[in-house]
Amino acid sequence: MPRVSIDGVAVDVPEGATLLEAARAAGRDVPTLCFDERLAPFGACRVCLVGLEGAPGPVASCTTPCREGAVVDTRDPVARRVAGAVVELVLSELPEPPAAHTELAAVARELGVGAPRWTGEVHGAREDEPPHPYLALRHELCISCGRCVRACDEVQGTFALTATGRGFHANVAAGIDEGFRASACVSCGACADTCPTDAITEVSLLALAAEGDRA
Amino acid sequence: MSSNLVELARRHHASGEANAVELLAQVVRERGELTAADIRAVAARTGLPEAAVHGVATFYDDLTAARGTRDVRVCTGTACFAASGEGHVHALEDGLAVRLGERAPDGSVSLGEAVCLGLCHSGPAVRDGDVIDAGPGAIERVLAGTARPAAEPAARSLLAEPVLLQTGDWTALRHALTPEALRAEVEASGLLGRGGAGFPAGRKWAFAAAAAGEEKLVVANGDEGDPGSYIDKHLMERSPALVLEGMALAAYAIGARHGFVLVRSEYPASKPALQAAAAAARAEGLLGPEAGFDVTIVEGAGSYVVGEETALLACLQGLRGAVSARPPFPAERGMHHAPTLVHNVETLASVPGIVRGGAEAYRALSPGATPGSKLVCFNERFAAPGVVEVPFGMTVRALCEDLAGGLRDGHAIKAVQIGGPLGGILPAARLDTVFDLEPLTREGCMVGHGSILAFDERTDMRAVARHLLRFGAHESCGKCFPCRVGLHRAHEMVAADAPVDRARLEALLETLELGSLCAHGGGMPAPIRSLIAHFPDELGLA
Repeated sequence: MPRVSIDGVAVDVPEGATLLEAARAAGRDVPTLCFDERLAPFGACRVCLVGLEGAPGPVASCTTPCREGAVVDTRDPVARRVAGAVVELVLSELPEPPAAHTELAAVARELGVGAPRWTGEVHGAREDEPPHPYLALRHELCISCGRCVRACDEVQGTFALTATGRGFHANVAAGIDEGFRASACVSCGACADTCPTDAITEVSLLALAAEGDRA
Repeated sequence: MSSNLVELARRHHASGEANAVELLAQVVRERGELTAADIRAVAARTGLPEAAVHGVATFYDDLTAARGTRDVRVCTGTACFAASGEGHVHALEDGLAVRLGERAPDGSVSLGEAVCLGLCHSGPAVRDGDVIDAGPGAIERVLAGTARPAAEPAARSLLAEPVLLQTGDWTALRHALTPEALRAEVEASGLLGRGGAGFPAGRKWAFAAAAAGEEKLVVANGDEGDPGSYIDKHLMERSPALVLEGMALAAYAIGARHGFVLVRSEYPASKPALQAAAAAARAEGLLGPEAGFDVTIVEGAGSYVVGEETALLACLQGLRGAVSARPPFPAERGMHHAPTLVHNVETLASVPGIVRGGAEAYRALSPGATPGSKLVCFNERFAAPGVVEVPFGMTVRALCEDLAGGLRDGHAIKAVQIGGPLGGILPAARLDTVFDLEPLTREGCMVGHGSILAFDERTDMRAVARHLLRFGAHESCGKCFPCRVGLHRAHEMVAADAPVDRARLEALLETLELGSLCAHGGGMPAPIRSLIAHFPDELGLA
């Protein structure tokens, strides 16, 4: 059972535990975007960066295993600076600021991220997404965290979703991009439940949220 | 990478059929584009979910661009850029009356982009159907419909007994060392991985040998498509038996019974060359059931990042070539979840020579420097471009001037980029830097893949930054956020017709360097840092 130090506090963690799990066990909050404890760690968003003694630079805490004696600084200034910059980049790709109730908005607040220093092309809305009675997909709000795809794969075992494209133009699609209805989707809602940006929402909840935002 | 998809891919591979990437590429070759019905058919044939196959079909360059009856692909690699800027691309667009990346409305012709065709000794290069032409007059010949195969590069070794520039005769395999002794020999040789990271090969072999698992695999990475480098292409096409012999030795050392080579589709002659060499070896009983080891040669479909080892394994399994976080390292859990030893082609090609000559002789090739020998290659700006096997420890100047004859037509070196697009750029004033891992690292450069690519005095360094970042952004696999968004933003900054805000650019480079998941996003800042350091005025920093 490795013992690690999180911000000066010693924590014993099970074999195979990650730095993120150790930090959370120590009661230290580390912001994340692509992480969902129901899913295997993915290591894509790089928002969970922490300082690790002896490492050449910040490490992603969600995919770094705890080694005996590891000394972790969850408030390492370089790690926080880079994590904040990454969130800035994410905000810069969206056509509108994230809705206040989303996980993305919460992470931006936690890291003190304001208007992005880098601006340019943003994701455009797609009018051709076929409608579905329960689920709505707004491609322009997708940040390619892969949570919906992995929830559909790992939790539901339905494989109705996929990552698409690459680079800046990466996104998600239901089935072969003919919408949820034509895909293998069973309307379980796991994708909407895990989405950190409202790119995928349950239609009824979307309406409620819209009302809530207006209130 | 999804464990479930890997399991499905493993079951499909056991059926003996080609993977989903290859099946999709075959449809595009035959019919020019993919339809929904094609995706469903490949899903049914491979057992992969339809959505997953759609994800694959949208990832690879070869699968996304619709092809005309006549398909022309122009090389937009860095050597072709150094040769003619973007002039060759525009000439083809004008001459074929079709824009880059598009197909004529009547379907008669398409103009695609390839990075890179590996004819950097003779750019600019262009592929017209199955013929790759390059060098002066190539564009005109393609436009006249008279393309002809480009001449292959010259190759020579500075060593009395070449390690890498030999054809491979399988005699090393007949040296009856035990697996333990073979691992010890490679460990003692000090061989470092030649793909760029420089990880000790012996340590990797020890991990793979010790990993738990009934089945183990050896994978040759023939998809390190660094624009400007044609070293692996040369080895796969001229010395395929040497590469396979190296794989067989590695397999014997770690207890693997099967191997895979992933070959780039941009090198259309590589897969047939390796297949022919494998067939010849099978006929001799050197591969196959009797030998206890055999190989499968797989062709990629256009993605630079697939040269990263986890992305490589994803591609080999017919999945999206996205990078995965490590651990687990492939040596513990790789292809089909089996312990997998992944090596660059040149690393594997070094092994037979080490086994034949012994570790001590190998180390002695480069006294006081990184052990062994290295292939370097030069772009067409040089008077005598080609592939040369060199010891480590010469100066970059000696390589450029003594071996490659300096630049041709009286031009002068403005700067050289070493080791591919993730390598720093060395200005002419620093050519006395020693060609070895540490001295180059101190200059913000790397040995990388060993390509030495000169820009002459006429080169606009802001255009170099634009060229490199366009490539970097296009090739980002899209998995990690810094690379996915950051390289696009960096390209936008240098492509804009405005001064570049230095503080904003440097903050972005830091985010890429420290935040990225793999060496693509982490490495793309290196040449940009070089340009900031050595050519700040040309870069237009403000």
